[in-house]
Amino acid sequence: MPVLRTLLVVTMSLCACLLNPRSVSAAEHTIAITHMELQEISEELRVGDVVTFVNEADMAHNLYITYEDGSVDNLDTQVPGMKRTVTLKHAGPAVIKCWIHPIIRADIEILDRAE
Amino acid sequence: MTSPWALVCMVSAAVVAFGAAVEGGLIRLDGKALATASVVSRANAAVGIDVPDELKAKYRRPDGIPAPKANPLTPEKAQLGKHLFFDTRLSRTGTVSCASCHNQAFDWSDGLQRGIGVTGVELPRRSPTVLNAAWLTALMWDGRAETLERQAALPLTAEHEMGVTLEEAVERVKQIKGYAPLFEAAYPGEGVTTKTLLGAFASFQRTLVSNKSAFDHWIEGDEGAISDAAKRGFMLFNGDARCSKCHSTWRFTDDSFHDIGLESEDVGRGQFAPPSVTIMQHAFKTPTLRDVRMSGPYMHDGSMRTLDAVIDHYADGGKKRPSLSPEMKPIKLTPGDRADLVAFLETLRGPPLHVDVPRLP
Repeated sequence: MPVLRTLLVVTMSLCACLLNPRSVSAAEHTIAITHMELQEISEELRVGDVVTFVNEADMAHNLYITYEDGSVDNLDTQVPGMKRTVTLKHAGPAVIKCWIHPIIRADIEILDRAE
Repeated sequence: MTSPWALVCMVSAAVVAFGAAVEGGLIRLDGKALATASVVSRANAAVGIDVPDELKAKYRRPDGIPAPKANPLTPEKAQLGKHLFFDTRLSRTGTVSCASCHNQAFDWSDGLQRGIGVTGVELPRRSPTVLNAAWLTALMWDGRAETLERQAALPLTAEHEMGVTLEEAVERVKQIKGYAPLFEAAYPGEGVTTKTLLGAFASFQRTLVSNKSAFDHWIEGDEGAISDAAKRGFMLFNGDARCSKCHSTWRFTDDSFHDIGLESEDVGRGQFAPPSVTIMQHAFKTPTLRDVRMSGPYMHDGSMRTLDAVIDHYADGGKKRPSLSPEMKPIKLTPGDRADLVAFLETLRGPPLHVDVPRLP
């Protein structure tokens, strides 16, 4: 009986997740860096989402994200072909820039965490 | 006035082994292909140089001069700015103007290892040229200004450069009656303010554009405009020598920041980055190579006096430290390769840009 009860709870939880689109877990996004440009970001970004930047350029980059409160996530240097991953921490407007190449810039809006 | 308006004439050179592959009677010079080729100079292979059109297109000069919407470029603003640029009365002692460190006779720099302003104290960095400043997206050696308008305030107010406050500068200009009609023509109804003063400086600088050089004529299709040696140098520059990793675009700068491994305590851009951003320690903005002065000095601190020293530095790969740019790698080059690189750099020098010095009010 305890096993059946556990299975029932798990099943109901899964159904609840599937029926409620806001209850999905953090999403993953991949953004390419080509030469001195960031791939256009069309997906919805939320707190907790994981963003992977892939350096498809033939030069090194060093991206960083500045949140509205001024805090910064530095992704460190990534040579060509290298991936760097960051988990979005704060909701609100944020800016992605490159320390090495200031011309690289993307303004993004981070939504509250999915419930 | 030190590193005011932007770039510099330093020469990055760097060289590598050459490679050559004979294709259909032509000597094809391709950076990658050359990596394993003989280091015997290709100077002997003057059959013809096949340079891809798409590569040449990257260096084509733009049409027109860009200006911000907030300060559109007009002849009246440029005329006003020219007067201000040459006016020593805007410095604390009345002895230094922008043109003191950005002297057209020295390709709009000063030919000194490091600049000297009103106090006579040697500045920490070399005076960069102001040529082609209209296109800059990061100004000053450490990038602490994002626009020409903001940059114009920095040398004016620096203690050892011109040494006045912006309020003092505005007041001094107001006291010179002859400036009133120039301001009225440039900024009707606005008068002499910090905004119009800095806007005029920026406007004049936007008009300082390098004249077309032999390189430009070659890019436009005149195959005879530059020598085969220069063409080989161009391919080397874009190939194994890796110069174009940073000295890119028609201005030969990426407006970006790199530690090239110089022996210097100056942390450059690192001053404005968190300590965790290792790559910005000792990083400085890539200087333009347009109208590069073949007699030096070079580097942000003017520490290299000759092109040979510059090439040696890049061949060595720079001081090994965590902040060293990943683009810095030791390279091999023959005497012929060096000569080709220098021949190429010489093609970037056009006729000097001459401006009639104004009679000041």
